Amino acid sequence: MAKMQKPLQFKQPQKSYDVVIVGGGLHGLAAAYYLARYHGIKRIAVLERRYIGSGGSGRNTEMVRANKRAHETLPFYKESLEMWDGLSSELEWNLMVQKKGLIALAHSDPELAAMRMLSDSQRRAGIKIEMLNPKELKKLVPALDVSDRPALPIFGAQFHPEGGTVHHDAAVWGYAKACARYGVDICVGVEVTGFNIDAGKVTGVQTSAGHIAAGKVHVAVGGYSSEIGRMIGMKFPVTTIVMQVMTTDIMAPFLDYYVASPRLHFYTQQTLKGDLILGGPLDHFQSWGSYTTWEESADRAVKIVEYFPDLAHVRIVRTWSGICDCTGDSAPVMGGCGIDGLSLDIAWGYYGFKAVPASGKYSAEYIATGKMPEKIRHFGLDRFYNRRLVREIIL
Amino acid sequence: MAFLIDCPNCGRRNPYEFKFGGECKRAPDEGADMRAWCDYLFLHDNMPGFQDEWWFHALGCKDWIKVRRNIATHEIRAIEETSP
Repeated sequence: MAKMQKPLQFKQPQKSYDVVIVGGGLHGLAAAYYLARYHGIKRIAVLERRYIGSGGSGRNTEMVRANKRAHETLPFYKESLEMWDGLSSELEWNLMVQKKGLIALAHSDPELAAMRMLSDSQRRAGIKIEMLNPKELKKLVPALDVSDRPALPIFGAQFHPEGGTVHHDAAVWGYAKACARYGVDICVGVEVTGFNIDAGKVTGVQTSAGHIAAGKVHVAVGGYSSEIGRMIGMKFPVTTIVMQVMTTDIMAPFLDYYVASPRLHFYTQQTLKGDLILGGPLDHFQSWGSYTTWEESADRAVKIVEYFPDLAHVRIVRTWSGICDCTGDSAPVMGGCGIDGLSLDIAWGYYGFKAVPASGKYSAEYIATGKMPEKIRHFGLDRFYNRRLVREIIL
Repeated sequence: MAFLIDCPNCGRRNPYEFKFGGECKRAPDEGADMRAWCDYLFLHDNMPGFQDEWWFHALGCKDWIKVRRNIATHEIRAIEETSP
């Protein structure tokens, strides 16, 4: 039985901390939680300039999965996916983890062949993956049009049974409450405006609430890492791009799985509430805005109706968008940046939500020990200089 | 979001007709070391303000144009044709 919990209380920052974490989204809160709980660091502050989970943490499509491509990243995403399972009981907060299964459609024979190769490398990493033919697919998703009618008919699919969804706001509050229980100060409305760097070592941060001394500073700012880069006089290998999400009318349950099409670049799921979340590609140009465009909405509507013809009269009723920091190789940047005591957990672009538990765990390990953990070894900033880009794909 | 790109050849057109080509950057000088080339290739200013950037009018004149756009507000200040 879960105990009655005290309500979460935000704090005013103190004058000094062992670790200051910039960014009160999922990555920052998770890192704070693992630091406080497993590495015994007592004085930790999470500084958030708006409200917790205001950035990408609350603006994603709630998808968790491990069917990635690069062999460097697969064990990491696999661990992250497994960590979501036990997280509700660990955090004593229901994250509504629903491993509903993820279906990725293929629309041609070459694509199916590529998907088989992808599946094999995922199986080698121990991730459960099956291939489905259109007949099997129709049994799982009766509403799906597997006939020859669509311009790009369905040739088959990859089924990732452990993929699913987690309620993103629940995850934010779960981590925040757990952080507070372990003595982390969560300070909202505190904006970091600069870093104090003394002889190549970070000694604190300047904030809208005054100067805060810190032994170590961890940057987990989602879509805003370039701004941090300017404060410390560095450029990061990221461009900021908007991602738009739409949801439809609420309907009776008809779609039990997450359905994605890597080729057409759209994906959808029916939430517990009954609406469909329509995800798609990032905008095709660099942008720091927050908006929804007619073109993207129309694109998603066309694609969903192509494969779910019964949805022709369903309306898009709600939209949101968020900004993503994308690297050229679709992998994040973690670890150090050449300044002693300053660690990064940035550039998560399109795939940060599913990675939260593992990235929090390994960021915490890096902050506590100063050594790059094996599972995130390939995510360092140095990969851009020694020809070790991660061969990842975006969907 | 209302912003149109005033293509020098085709007039005011929807940005979805274009392919985005990224920030205009200055290539390192001849003889620069590998690190300078990696910086040039991978690092971006990514500043939420005005920047010079490349756009390719894929569904129009098939011309690369240089646009000075505020990437936070999408206000466009200048557009120039770049074809040789």
